[in-house]
Amino acid sequence: MIWLIKFAMCAMMPRTEKLPGIGDTDLDGFLRRLRRDSDFLYWLGLALGAWLFAVTPLFTVWVPLPAFFLPKKLLDRHTERVLSSRIYLIRQAVFLVRLSAGMCWGADPTVRAKFAMSPYGTDPGTFRS
Amino acid sequence: MSHVAFQPRGREVALEADYVVVGSGAGGAPAAVTLARAGAKVAIVEAGPWRDPADYPSSVYGAMRDMIDAWGSNFTRGRAYWPIIQGSLVGGTTVINSAIAVRTPADIFEKWERAHGVGGASMAEAVWRIQDDLERELCVEEAPTPARGNSNLLAKKAADALGFENHYLLRYIKGCVGSGQCLQGCREDRKQSLNRNYVPEVLERGGDVLSCAPVERVLFEGNRAVGVRGRFRNPQTREGGADFVVRAKKGVLVAASVTRSAPLLMASGVQSRALGKHFRAHPGTPVFGVYDDPIDMNTGATQGWASVAYRDEPGFKLETLSLPLDMVAGRLSGSGQLLMDRLMEFRHLAIWVQACRAETVGEVRRTITGRPAVHYTLGREDMLRFREGMYQIARMHVAAGARAVLPGIFGMPYRLEPDQIDQLREAPLDPRAYVAILSHLFGGCVMGADPSRSVCDGRGRVHGYEGLVVVDASVIPTNLGVNPQHTIMALARLFAEQLVERPAARAAA
Repeated sequence: MIWLIKFAMCAMMPRTEKLPGIGDTDLDGFLRRLRRDSDFLYWLGLALGAWLFAVTPLFTVWVPLPAFFLPKKLLDRHTERVLSSRIYLIRQAVFLVRLSAGMCWGADPTVRAKFAMSPYGTDPGTFRS
Repeated sequence: MSHVAFQPRGREVALEADYVVVGSGAGGAPAAVTLARAGAKVAIVEAGPWRDPADYPSSVYGAMRDMIDAWGSNFTRGRAYWPIIQGSLVGGTTVINSAIAVRTPADIFEKWERAHGVGGASMAEAVWRIQDDLERELCVEEAPTPARGNSNLLAKKAADALGFENHYLLRYIKGCVGSGQCLQGCREDRKQSLNRNYVPEVLERGGDVLSCAPVERVLFEGNRAVGVRGRFRNPQTREGGADFVVRAKKGVLVAASVTRSAPLLMASGVQSRALGKHFRAHPGTPVFGVYDDPIDMNTGATQGWASVAYRDEPGFKLETLSLPLDMVAGRLSGSGQLLMDRLMEFRHLAIWVQACRAETVGEVRRTITGRPAVHYTLGREDMLRFREGMYQIARMHVAAGARAVLPGIFGMPYRLEPDQIDQLREAPLDPRAYVAILSHLFGGCVMGADPSRSVCDGRGRVHGYEGLVVVDASVIPTNLGVNPQHTIMALARLFAEQLVERPAARAAA
């Protein structure tokens, strides 16, 4: 499932000439942490979103293939269309994938440097015991 | 003085106090400190862990993990799924909000008296007196000029140009340095969240604090509340720990939040036809403006400006908000190459929001898993207000010199040029077209004179029970049209004062 989520996130936030993509960040580490830390409902929604992303090209770009077999240009079009699907549930589930991708990408020091922002400090996760 | 955090499975933890307070946020902490100052022994029982500024996260991911209830996965059940954002840690939502202090408007007390038989002039006077004290104790002030940041300055300029009432916000923040990190907890320790003052004061006055300790039931002897029971939960692994029981000699005060207090009373067998009913909120959504010069909204106060010019008619509030890059990256419309191109404008974005004074009434229920479920769908009249609020924000952006406005509405263009913003007045009225959040919540255990229509009386005491008082936003029977933290804190303190006032003083009153 992590592989599927990673694929969807990379399709949503690809590398461009001006910006690093999410694949250039520590996405594997992020997803491992997310799996471990997140609320069950959150993870379930994320997994559902990634699955929907993979199986819906037939309804977005009229190609009867899972998203990971699409060429880049078609994948980009699928990504855009699935996020603006007229079916609210699909839109929301896939939105959760992109929201999570944004959390990983926007916290990356290289990405932040592109926007003249200093790197984040740590997330210690500590508390009074 | 004792703080008891997560305890592994084993022997039951048992404590006794005069009063047990469930929750340590804007309701629980002020009530607890009031009781402790009156000499009572108080035990605060908080579901989340106790984090100090050194423990606060930096990133949005860290905030979701460490501070936000259920990862923000509590959402409205209805036509649209809008997330409900609440803090779950000692200090509650006061740790992660913008600490905005707005006095309770006079019309609210009149409305409560007229419609619910509580409130009126005497409650207004008492609440305002307490708000005076709170402002002094918690150093309420405007953001200093150097900490305001471009977004707040621009909003002021726009509203002044359009000629409507507007102001820099008063906040519970002492010497704001404009780090733009309110939503992740203020690591600069300037925000006066209640984990930094009232909760430690309860400890200093001989009270107890249990953290990582979600309460499962209020205990009763007959119809008298005599304590609470629950089980510790490890905030990192979410594993259950030891059972705990806290006995209350004089009373139990419930301040578990709007989404949690009513379900807790339901789980405890409290009988009331109004329990969970009369849920209300201020649903909010942002409109982005794109400017020629960099705004760098993460520099400066997270929320430093507001206007209540439209509070009464049509019924919304306008304010600034800075969102971090790791939130904006998920919030902008689009995907793939298109999204990355749009993100290039991040430094040039200013985000201003409207919070709708919605009249829609929803309901809080308890699911079989114990999680709360909020049933809420914004009605047509409220959607008209909601949309109009977005239009007014767009107007402000244009007045401030934005080269484009990004409404973020499904079915609308991604980008509106300044001469196209009138299109917003024709935007869809389906709530599913909008990405909104619910952050100001009210009701579920509302106060009122009639026990068939309310859960509590005008002092927060649950009808038909002894020693059981609700002291959070659940008691508020209407929306406020302003940020609610100041009202919640004052009401909680008032109800606590009324519990400990001497009989002679009561007779004189």
